[in-house]
Amino acid sequence: MKQRKGLDPSFLFKILGFLFFAYLFFGFMLVPCLNTLTSIFTTKNAAGETDPWVVIKFFFAGNMPSFVWNSLKLAILLVITVNVVGVSIVLLTEYFEIKGAKILRLGYMTTLIYSGVALVTGYMFLYANDGILTNYLVQINPGLNKAWFTGFNAVLFTMTFACTSNHMLFLRNAIRGIDYNTVEAARNMGAGPFKVLWKVVFPTLIPTMFSLTVMTFITGLCAMSAPTLLGYDSINPEIVRLAGSSTADESFPQARAALLSVILAIFTIVLLTVLSSYERKGHYLSVSKTKAKLQKQKINNPVANVLAHIYAYVLFIIYMTPVVMIVIFAFQTFDAVRMRKIDFKGWTLINFFGKQDYNYLTARGTYKNREGAISGLFSNETTLGGIKLSFILSVIAAAFACVIVVIACTYIFKNKKKGAILEYALLFPWLLPTILICYSFRTFFNSDAVWYVGNRNLYYEQSVRILIVMAYTVVKLPFSLRMIKASFYTIDEELEEAAKNLGSGPIRTFLKVKLPIILPTVLAVFALNFNSLFTEYDMSATFASTYGTSYAMVIQAMTYDEGAFGYNMNATGRRCASTVFIMLLSGLVLYLVYGVGARDLGERLEHRKKWKARLEKITGRQKKAKQESAG
Amino acid sequence: MIQLKDIVVKFGDFTALHNINVHVKEGEFFTFLGPSGCGKTTTLRTITGFIEPTSGTVMMKDKDITKVPIEKRNIGIVFQSYALFPTMTVYDNIAFGLKIKKLKKQEIDEKVREIARKVDLSDEQLAKAVSQLSGGQQQRVAIARALVTNPSVICLDEPLSNLDAKLRVQLRNELKNMQRDFGITSIYVTHDQEEALTLSDHIAVFNKGYIEQIGTPYEVYNNSATEFVCNFIGDINRLSDELIARLNREQNAGLDPVKHHYIRLERLRVNEVQTGDLFTDGVVESAEYYGLTIKYLIRTADQTFKVVEKNDGKRIYEIGETVRVSFRREDLMSYEPGDYKGDEV
Repeated sequence: MKQRKGLDPSFLFKILGFLFFAYLFFGFMLVPCLNTLTSIFTTKNAAGETDPWVVIKFFFAGNMPSFVWNSLKLAILLVITVNVVGVSIVLLTEYFEIKGAKILRLGYMTTLIYSGVALVTGYMFLYANDGILTNYLVQINPGLNKAWFTGFNAVLFTMTFACTSNHMLFLRNAIRGIDYNTVEAARNMGAGPFKVLWKVVFPTLIPTMFSLTVMTFITGLCAMSAPTLLGYDSINPEIVRLAGSSTADESFPQARAALLSVILAIFTIVLLTVLSSYERKGHYLSVSKTKAKLQKQKINNPVANVLAHIYAYVLFIIYMTPVVMIVIFAFQTFDAVRMRKIDFKGWTLINFFGKQDYNYLTARGTYKNREGAISGLFSNETTLGGIKLSFILSVIAAAFACVIVVIACTYIFKNKKKGAILEYALLFPWLLPTILICYSFRTFFNSDAVWYVGNRNLYYEQSVRILIVMAYTVVKLPFSLRMIKASFYTIDEELEEAAKNLGSGPIRTFLKVKLPIILPTVLAVFALNFNSLFTEYDMSATFASTYGTSYAMVIQAMTYDEGAFGYNMNATGRRCASTVFIMLLSGLVLYLVYGVGARDLGERLEHRKKWKARLEKITGRQKKAKQESAG
Repeated sequence: MIQLKDIVVKFGDFTALHNINVHVKEGEFFTFLGPSGCGKTTTLRTITGFIEPTSGTVMMKDKDITKVPIEKRNIGIVFQSYALFPTMTVYDNIAFGLKIKKLKKQEIDEKVREIARKVDLSDEQLAKAVSQLSGGQQQRVAIARALVTNPSVICLDEPLSNLDAKLRVQLRNELKNMQRDFGITSIYVTHDQEEALTLSDHIAVFNKGYIEQIGTPYEVYNNSATEFVCNFIGDINRLSDELIARLNREQNAGLDPVKHHYIRLERLRVNEVQTGDLFTDGVVESAEYYGLTIKYLIRTADQTFKVVEKNDGKRIYEIGETVRVSFRREDLMSYEPGDYKGDEV
């Protein structure tokens, strides 16, 4: 078919598409980030001259390298501890025969439904200076430093257990993919379960372990919520601090923040390049055609067996205690939460809904009443405002990222060569730490000199919300692209031809044939994007704007002491309720994505049939009962 | 019905089809046969309109349809993967083309149910998802979907290739019966020579973008036009130069020593020399017992012969036994060297 000359609508689409993607890539990825890079070298020294090296000289003269070193230290140690714990929990639930493995697995998987700020505040609820466990320990040993859970050790401890989600997802899959016949063959040749583990099972897990190690390292390097909340001077909190600082307080804070974020970017880029070149080399795949399902290995040595069980349950307790405590206290009264003492009679929903007056003794010795000072999650203006804002911004950004990627993918699959350029453009944010993108947005758009956004200062008042949505969208593009692109591969080319042959035009083919195939994935990506954006802390903290106070920032504010005179009342109660709310929401999203969304049409039809039968059974029974009662 | 005239298809520098001429008659079952990459699918796609030929014309009922868009050609297609829409039920798959034609709902329903009955799909199966059907049932859905819009021709692109061997034979027969019942002109692409021989009225054998031969299954098998065809279709013995020389010398066979001579496995006889036969002695090297037939490898002084004998109660020869292999002079197929339209295989 030859192209018609003149204003062909498809040609117009192409031009519009090109302009849009160019705008997105240059305007919201490349230019702001390059601006950050150049700002390091265009800073003026005390004499008002441009001195390209002043920032770097200052960097090495001061305490700046210590932030980098602190982050590296955290990342290196996290790689060790997270791998030890992550491998342990996967082996204990999937490889060895441990009693109660199903319950253990549920406990180990709790990090899938709450992470970031919600998780860190959960740990603080137990271990911080007013935490349940701290109070208990002080009772036993009054000499204990109540602020024991701060700094490096606290961050390392919290993140060790917080960052095993990827192990639970990917390593678990890898271990389940092992051909059991190879284990049986090794056993048959006389190898014990630990020998088999080391010589047969472990080598097949190496590629996954490598990926997990790199991912953990980057997580440690870019850690934000744990160091901020628990007080540890690593790179990210320092960038946020510097970004909000001014030259009146210290020397060129912005340029130093830029330098730190560029250092972080260099680390990330190097690591990800190593990772992807390693992944490209290919993996050890099972060569056998018929795989046997892995059967759990019994530990024959009784001492080892008992030790393994103890280890498994100790880990379980570490994972579950914060969750259980938070869930319990979310339904406790204000006084119970404040005293950190469970009142088995006083169950309430006050931490979620409703308000309560607050009576207190003033310094003058009189009682005062503050009306409705104790409020629940959904009746507290600030909290509700945070929830609403996060909800709206996340929905918009999650949907926007999906739409952009679907449009891009239809192009990528039609034009292999030019499509590759588009693909790399959309994957670009993957290379950069989130903080670099947000910091760049904050500084670059905090000016009315950016012509392509209409010379409007986007960091000013409400406009910051546009900036946050753009940052959310850009950050979610790579993940969305990888997932949705994979779903495009499942569209058989012959399907399109078949539709064409039956007389269907391109729009009808897209809507009726292609879209239904990719829709489950698109919806899943939307849900997962929403899930992570709704509770994200790192990005909105970098923007640090009163007009962009996200839900996670509100939660973070709840960890500050409750004022005796009514300021931030019942913050702890709302904090617990928030975590419960987040866990329910994430649980629902994961269920929808992996439970409902993963069903194909056949499974859906079966399901519908089953429900119909059930319904008929019930209504049939009712009819029968009616007839009987009538008779 | 369908006529391809001097079709040339080029992809960049590569010429995929060289001057293809085919004439498919009304109601017949026409097969494009050849190894992968020979151009048979490209030819089919030229007919269906997915490929526009570089030169040449596609005629349908004496009308030039070379530039007619795919959906206006009224050609049904059954794809290799069946290309059934996974997000639609069986019913919606079949109804898809009718809905595009904006038929009334009732009319669509009647047509869908009628074609479903003809291809033996139950109402219950119509309500199912495609993934809930077996491979054979899926094939019937694909055929129903292709036929429901009343096309004048149906094209089938290796529709049996992703089924297991047993199902393939079963569906092959079903396919033939269906085609006979509907009486529709069918163009069938396959690389499986057995399929081609059992199904077709005519076969076009493709090789490297050329057609080597067009003929009935009998002609293609027994009077292969080129050396490629006789090698590609069925198993065959090539007489060695030494044997030819010896036969000419000892039995005055008069075989052209320059040419290549071939004999089919079943045309060789063991210990049953008839007058006028050419023969040679050999030792039974192995015997494979298939039940219906027995396949011997017989080593003669000059070469090893593959021979198939019917298991009709005749004595089975022992390994190591000396036997006499013979054949009729007329059963030889002889070719000039390099008698290929495509390059050397």
